[in-house]
Amino acid sequence: MADLEKRILLQDVGKPNSHSIDVYEESGGYTALKKILIEDNKKWTPGAIIEEVKASNLRGRGGAGFPTGLKWSFIPKDSPKPKYLICNADEGEPGTFKDRVLLEDTPHGFIEGMIIAGIALDSKQGYIYIRGEFYKPWERVEQAIKEAYEKGYLGDNIFGTQHSFHLATYRGAGAYICGEETALIESIEGKRGHPRLKPPFPAVEGLYKCPTVVNNVETYAAVPHIINNGAKWYSSLSVGSEKSGGTKLFSISGHVNNPGVFEVPLGLPMIDIIEKVCGGIKNGNKLKAVIPGGSSTPILTAEEASKAIMDYEGMAAVGTFLGSGAVIVLDETTDMVELAYRVAYFYEHESCGQCTPCREGTKWVKDIMKRFKDGIGQENDLDTLCDFSQYMANGATVCPFGDAVMMAVVPIVQKFRSEFEARIDNSEDVQHKVSAAG
Amino acid sequence: MSNGLQEVTEYSFSKKSDERFKELEKKFPEKNSLVLWALHLVQEDIGYVPEVAMEYVAQKTGVSKSWVSGVVTFYSMYNKKPVGKYHLQVCHNVSCWLNGSDKLEEAIKRKLNIEHGETTNDGKFTFSHVECLASCGTSPVVQVNNDYHEKMTPEKLEELIDELKQK
Repeated sequence: MADLEKRILLQDVGKPNSHSIDVYEESGGYTALKKILIEDNKKWTPGAIIEEVKASNLRGRGGAGFPTGLKWSFIPKDSPKPKYLICNADEGEPGTFKDRVLLEDTPHGFIEGMIIAGIALDSKQGYIYIRGEFYKPWERVEQAIKEAYEKGYLGDNIFGTQHSFHLATYRGAGAYICGEETALIESIEGKRGHPRLKPPFPAVEGLYKCPTVVNNVETYAAVPHIINNGAKWYSSLSVGSEKSGGTKLFSISGHVNNPGVFEVPLGLPMIDIIEKVCGGIKNGNKLKAVIPGGSSTPILTAEEASKAIMDYEGMAAVGTFLGSGAVIVLDETTDMVELAYRVAYFYEHESCGQCTPCREGTKWVKDIMKRFKDGIGQENDLDTLCDFSQYMANGATVCPFGDAVMMAVVPIVQKFRSEFEARIDNSEDVQHKVSAAG
Repeated sequence: MSNGLQEVTEYSFSKKSDERFKELEKKFPEKNSLVLWALHLVQEDIGYVPEVAMEYVAQKTGVSKSWVSGVVTFYSMYNKKPVGKYHLQVCHNVSCWLNGSDKLEEAIKRKLNIEHGETTNDGKFTFSHVECLASCGTSPVVQVNNDYHEKMTPEKLEELIDELKQK
């Protein structure tokens, strides 16, 4: 039953040449920009645009869920420095593949959103940071930028006004951490992706030490619709909490019959999304667990998932996060020890190495998970692992990566502890086996 | 080298890369922003980033060689040694694993007799397992050079390898 879907950002996806400017314009693309700059330019002052986005209750779609309008309002209005706008298209949170659809199949939506944000924040230059592996999406975005320049939506003096806005892409090169906004900024400056200490926040001192706003692809893509239809319309699209406005793209994968990217109102029951939108669990199996918002969000048992509401508040109520909206569905056949190992392996591989607790800690976490995977876990390993939290999380590191590792791995161990205990080796020579396994 | 891949001992941008670099220079107010771009261009030219190319990039972007070396070793897409003509990259993160990526890794090992990080003797194929490629809804995925091959099965992967062998 696809009628739970509400396709707004995805309105063109599935049409032939959905990525082209012609298709986007046919569905009303770039009319929001025209309203702001020509038809209704008296109403749409920069301040009014920011207020409208605030009132829409749009929250950052990259994972953190920070209110977008509020983020924009932190940009100092009196700064003599240039202001930069960045689109975070470094989609890498395991389980997330929604931005790829926007980049590849309907790139003009977020480009129009960026131009509007540029006008609102008095920025003349935007950069789109695309993960390096996304070659085809990058080509599509390059093509879309070219089309937008040709039509005069980008460039100097847009529609003959005093407003100018330029866009360029930047390709990442394989580093999950660059999805963290200050690491991303370092990366655009041509450096290793080491997150910066905050404050100063990017709004004050970001790219090239200038005021900078970084938003996710999906966040920008919502902006033209908010301008065209109003904040009230957008915020009332959601069916749950008032604080979570609009629709959300969910990337749903794992053991479901119909995986994919679906746009639905925020606030639906998770179970409806799994059963009705994704056609239920594969092979008629039973649900075992759900990773609700990308691998960094705490896992939910089937029972918790049955009560979960898919918005920012609903996820908090069951002790987890909406994150990037990446739902990984796990059926009864899933080996939770192997799952925890795969997750731990990822974080060890992706730790940027800047902070000792994270660099060393992620290796320890992975090593412990490897022992359980190999069936040579030790009695005290699980408690030791849960203990790491106090050293790796809660502000022990520059960025939230250390917290993410703990939120990802520890709940799997806590909620499915018996599966781990079954892999404990109590034999006398276990120490020898552990040393031999390295 | 034993796998038939040649080390590059001299390097400067190809004509195409040089033109693209000049275009890119106009888009960024600080030259150091071009470090990652320049390294992508190096890889498009010669497939990996040898020491001489690091020196070249440092000189082109006005940073130190150690800066460039730090970048090359930080980002996983920059190859530190030559790779085969076709780089088979199998995602082994959660969603791909749930949908059978282990069988894809086994198929490559069986068919090409190489392990993760290795290259075939004829220099044609390199195999790596990689982290989430954002293709979870169409998993498992194998990235071959710039292209994604989605909803992959061991059979389809073996066919693809046979096809690439002929090229």
